[in-house]
Amino acid sequence: MTESKLTLDGQQVEFTPGETLYELASRHGKTIPTLCYDPRLEPFGGCRLCAVELEGTKAPVASCTMRATPGMVVRTDSQSLDKLRRTLLEMVASENRELEVDPLRGYASQQLKELVDRYGARTGRFKGRTSGKSHADDNPFILRDYDLCISCYRCVRVCAEQEGDYAISIMNRGFETRITTEFEGKLKDSQCTFCGQCVQTCPTGALADRKALANAKIPGETRKTRTTCAYCGVGCSLDVLSRGDRIVGVHPAMDGPANEGALCIKGQFAFDFVHHPDRLKSPLVRGEDGELHEASWDEALDRAARGLGQVIEEHGRHSVYCIASGRTPSEACYLMGKFVRAGLGTSYIDNCSRA
Amino acid sequence: MALPDELPRPVETRDLIELFRHQPAPLLAVLHALHDRDGYLSDEVLGEVSKGLRIPLADLFGTVTFYHHFARKPGGKAAPRVCTGPVCCQHGALDLVQKLGATEMPCAGRCDQPVPVLAGDQVLDPHGQPLLSPLPVPNPGGCEECVFAHIREPGRSNLAGYGYEALQKALTMTSQQVLDLVSESGLAGRGGAGFPTGTKWKLVAQAQGYPKTVVCNADEGEPGCFKDRALLDHDPHAVLEGMLIAAHATGASRAFLYLRYEYPHTLRILERALEEARAAGLLGTCEIYLRRGAGAYICGEEGALLNSLEGRHPFPRYRPPFPVTHGFENLPTAVNNVETLASVPPILRNGAAWYRSLGRNGQAGTKLISLSGDIQKPGNYEVPLGLPLRTLLEEWAGGAPEGHTIRAVTMAGLSGGFLGGADLEVTLDEPSIRSRGSFLGAGGIIVFHDGRNMVEAARQAMEFFAHESCGKCFPCRIGTQRLVERLSGEAGPGEKERWVEEVEDLGHTMKALSACGLGMAAPLVTESLNRYFPEDVAAHVGRNA
Repeated sequence: MTESKLTLDGQQVEFTPGETLYELASRHGKTIPTLCYDPRLEPFGGCRLCAVELEGTKAPVASCTMRATPGMVVRTDSQSLDKLRRTLLEMVASENRELEVDPLRGYASQQLKELVDRYGARTGRFKGRTSGKSHADDNPFILRDYDLCISCYRCVRVCAEQEGDYAISIMNRGFETRITTEFEGKLKDSQCTFCGQCVQTCPTGALADRKALANAKIPGETRKTRTTCAYCGVGCSLDVLSRGDRIVGVHPAMDGPANEGALCIKGQFAFDFVHHPDRLKSPLVRGEDGELHEASWDEALDRAARGLGQVIEEHGRHSVYCIASGRTPSEACYLMGKFVRAGLGTSYIDNCSRA
Repeated sequence: MALPDELPRPVETRDLIELFRHQPAPLLAVLHALHDRDGYLSDEVLGEVSKGLRIPLADLFGTVTFYHHFARKPGGKAAPRVCTGPVCCQHGALDLVQKLGATEMPCAGRCDQPVPVLAGDQVLDPHGQPLLSPLPVPNPGGCEECVFAHIREPGRSNLAGYGYEALQKALTMTSQQVLDLVSESGLAGRGGAGFPTGTKWKLVAQAQGYPKTVVCNADEGEPGCFKDRALLDHDPHAVLEGMLIAAHATGASRAFLYLRYEYPHTLRILERALEEARAAGLLGTCEIYLRRGAGAYICGEEGALLNSLEGRHPFPRYRPPFPVTHGFENLPTAVNNVETLASVPPILRNGAAWYRSLGRNGQAGTKLISLSGDIQKPGNYEVPLGLPLRTLLEEWAGGAPEGHTIRAVTMAGLSGGFLGGADLEVTLDEPSIRSRGSFLGAGGIIVFHDGRNMVEAARQAMEFFAHESCGKCFPCRIGTQRLVERLSGEAGPGEKERWVEEVEDLGHTMKALSACGLGMAAPLVTESLNRYFPEDVAAHVGRNA
């Protein structure tokens, strides 16, 4: 046996130093259940569903926090583990108002429900008080429906470890545990930047995307289209959720090379301009009457060209300054730069995303 | 905590922060100084602490709410709290809560003097008189003692009446010689886990990374346990000496004594003793810092204690890695119980063979037992390991009150659940008690007489565990709550077989999957209830059907 080998479900496998049993098992195609695990976060060991049997220990060990060491003999599945996991899921199910939540609530919102169904834990056993307490918070982005919270603290940890905001934390103890901001205030009065990462990592939909939920009644199957966020130059990957020809929401791409599941407030929540009634769909030109009127593109472009030409003639080429919208794709921005530099002959060009 | 006289009064928040900011483990010290000054912790003060110690405000707020005793409203610190631990409830604690308009607090470690009232920094009896720790009675069995051997000598708590001969002796030895001596003595952790002390210290001594740390765990929060208080109140220098010997043996250059909030008088004794030792130059190369807890049983768990010292949310840490390599600030740390450390000076003075010989049936040494509840003579007793439980109960402590017999006892405070019936014939050592599905642990034993309703006793115990569950791991957070509901009749099946099945499924899952000892031990209460008192369970379930 070489240094870095152990036995995983009867098979000799090699591990990388520092690898946890959960990571190792996942790499070998094992689907160990978990609710508090997010691969981007530090090992936590809270939900205990990922417990595996380790030869030589009295009780199962949490695979997400246990590092692989040479010679370990690990079982990721057994009748006894199955029963423990099912009972634990029955316990978790018993503390929540409901299991069925709209998938538009967030990327991970179906995880609890899926596990409960996988383990046949929808038995209604262990009835008792429910935990959590929803927090009235009138911000337009994040619904804080803590009646569905199972205290996995993925939100708190993603906020600290990924976003670096430390806007939310854990208050009280035990069954009275709550997710809170400083002094139990609203998110808008906290350090929260509304990046929405807490929403997308929440495994029960306790934190939900209000913008997406507003589209819950739009009929049709939800399609996902992978694209790149056009708001700035970082290049965050995201999946646009659509039904028919309507955009209903945005999920960050957990495998996005630039963002690993992170987005900012704009990439995450600012998609509703697409279908906004005030959105311009044709050019407007100002008429003799001083009002704006719909016009054809030729008409509008002629008017713009005339105006720009006139200004340059009267005041010189550096009297013009152009700014490109952050919402336009990179290609359009490139053309804009080209037009301004080569066409108008000035270097006065900028983009709103740069600020 | 006592502040330097040269600080201008009233003391500014920023000066208080500055006073501790450069010390290790500043947060608790700063919070207590402000809590003492204002009588509560205001939003504004927390904002300043957050800036001064560079802790995100949301984190700091969450952490403060974790502790039971940090008041967040003006006048909160001075408001009376009444102990509603299991023994105090036997003595009318709930009535006293009503009478005083007080808030309840979990077991405050005065089960030998029920019912204590904590008012500000004073512990009072129900009539408002200060409660002082009684000296342990002379050993009723005439057995040779270790930590209590000299505790009754007058002046023992002063440096003049103590002397640090064991430390002087240790300093003439190499650290390896001290480590070997402690290993040979067979001393094992007296806080409950029973890990061999010599082995622990060797691991710290061998571990990479400096500075190394010694932590004395004086967060005696287990209901029914009050032995550490007796040691600290009457023999504080023995504990400090044990810490300094541990520092010498492990190579530690800093040490903390983490004292539970509910022992304010003990804090003053320790402050004085530490000042005496410092002034006499006894600390040498190891600085000792006193840190006060703020009301959280889980902080007696070493990972949670270390997080608490570091100013983090006091959740237990996952293990491995263990504190011996990754302890305070991720550096090698020896965390030892008060009684363990107090046992070290006598071992240094009298030798390893002497200590081993104090036990019976092949068990090394002695154990302090805190005995309380329905017993004639409650108090702390130092027993040779292996002493029959019956001998302690009947011969040493006078048995049950007049007209009663003993129906059950708890073990390990509450954590070991109950022993009853024929299992009351155990001897006081781990092999004997563990063979009955319980454990000796920290040595708290609460007695219940034949008139007590054991379901009610179990409910009280489980309420304690639910109240103190930290909330980190699912099985404990949900399981303790569900067990309370079933023991109170608030929820759960109304038919005995199904009730027992649910309770056992919960317990089995908690034992197998909980992240720390709290969640693993709590179900021993229901397990032993079902084992010894099925008739009480049947009556309870029938009543709530």
